[in-house]
Amino acid sequence: MHVHRDIVLEGRNLVFAYGADEVILKGDSFEFRGPGLVTVLGPNGSGKTTFFKVLLGLLKPQEGRVLVNGVDVTGDPVKAGRFMSYVPQLSSLRRDIPVTPLEVVEAALRSRGLHGRARREAAVKLLEEVGVSEVMSRTLGELSGGQLQRVLIARALARDTDILLLDEPLSGVDPRGREGLLELVREIAQRKLIVMTTHDPVQALKRSDYFVVFNRGIVAQGSPYDIYKLDILRKAYGTVLEIEKCLHVL
Amino acid sequence: MGGAALALSSMSPIVAARRLGFFASALPHSALLAVSLGYVLSRVLGLDPFACSLLLSLPISYTFTFLLHRGVDAEIATSVFVAFTSSSSVAAMYLVLTRFPAEASLWSYILGDPLLVSWSEALTILLLAALLTAAAVLVYEVEVMIGLDADFARVSGVRVELRDYLLTTMLTLASVGMLRVVGFVVQHVAILLPAAIGTRVARNARQLMLVSVTLSFLAGILSVALASVVDMPPSAVYGLLLMAAYVLSLLR
Repeated sequence: MHVHRDIVLEGRNLVFAYGADEVILKGDSFEFRGPGLVTVLGPNGSGKTTFFKVLLGLLKPQEGRVLVNGVDVTGDPVKAGRFMSYVPQLSSLRRDIPVTPLEVVEAALRSRGLHGRARREAAVKLLEEVGVSEVMSRTLGELSGGQLQRVLIARALARDTDILLLDEPLSGVDPRGREGLLELVREIAQRKLIVMTTHDPVQALKRSDYFVVFNRGIVAQGSPYDIYKLDILRKAYGTVLEIEKCLHVL
Repeated sequence: MGGAALALSSMSPIVAARRLGFFASALPHSALLAVSLGYVLSRVLGLDPFACSLLLSLPISYTFTFLLHRGVDAEIATSVFVAFTSSSSVAAMYLVLTRFPAEASLWSYILGDPLLVSWSEALTILLLAALLTAAAVLVYEVEVMIGLDADFARVSGVRVELRDYLLTTMLTLASVGMLRVVGFVVQHVAILLPAAIGTRVARNARQLMLVSVTLSFLAGILSVALASVVDMPPSAVYGLLLMAAYVLSLLR
């Protein structure tokens, strides 16, 4: 049984840049508390994926630290991986080799030391939990965007970490699929800390507990009502078009 | 020939999953260099030429993996690697042919001929083939995981960079170890084509490995039987049989 407890993902004075011109984090600090859903909102190309890679220890910041429940995991993916799992953008995933969802989840369960029948049963259970057990024997290339996202969420859940990072999980998914996915994410966020990126403010608005507006660094952070103010979003997006949509939803 | 086919084809799905086709294509060049240098070294030091070749081949291949880890683009690293190994192998072969003309048969390494291999060499090759096939099967699942999404593998505790060196070791040993049987010319076919066929017909990763290995093994055995009938080297028949299988897979 999963025990509910506080989870804290913290960044302290993080600085990260690709060379001199491309600065992604400028001494940013934050504290995400879970269980719950944190949405990182920012336009395409704003550095959200790089931000995630810094959190996961895949990229080492030039300055600052990443802590999970007080443990320093900066620049160490193995250490960070004990607390965090992640779902990448669909575009970064290979789909040209014949691999099934069942095999994908089974492989992820290796890190928990499961083998044989127990591992297969656990994989099937996870695929059932995310609602894609009926396609578990198809190849990844045969799945829709929504089905693939669910498989990747099952793979991330297989590692049984307290924190899940979801990178643009709603991209490449049809509107109906998005609703279902958000439901699933919200459900998981009741027991884990989920940090999710999106470039669409309307999607982000509906169900998050905490917001981060990101554009080459953290522009603003706080509750949904704090964040959905015209000037903050204009600063991040440079346009009022999306913002008007958000205000309409509010 | 069956053993060599088994060893090389068991690497094939891993090469496909890890997108190492460029490296696999470059490997025969470094294998030829290692064999030529190994021969010279064995004559000078009085050691076994096969063991010398295997030992020399590893540092040569590791330079390629090192270049990739240093952030050099895969295509550029391949070009540099092939430029170095092919030029050096021509120099090393020249050295062998001019200094030891009556003792060395480099043609058997270039064209490949299982019928010219001695019983002791055949046993060594079979043992190495068995070890490499077993290793390939053991590491396969994790290698596919890395191939799908290397970052996820990293946060799952997989030491991807160490695995790169392990895979380089396996591929290099397979390439040098099987060179005498399969030959320089056809070797990359034996590494690349089985998975190309498997990818077209398999429904999952396990099937991909099974199809690659089974087809290649059968083609290997059949090639020896057919070689004398059609009066061609077994490696040529092997390559053509795999090519025919690939064409058939396209009709699916």
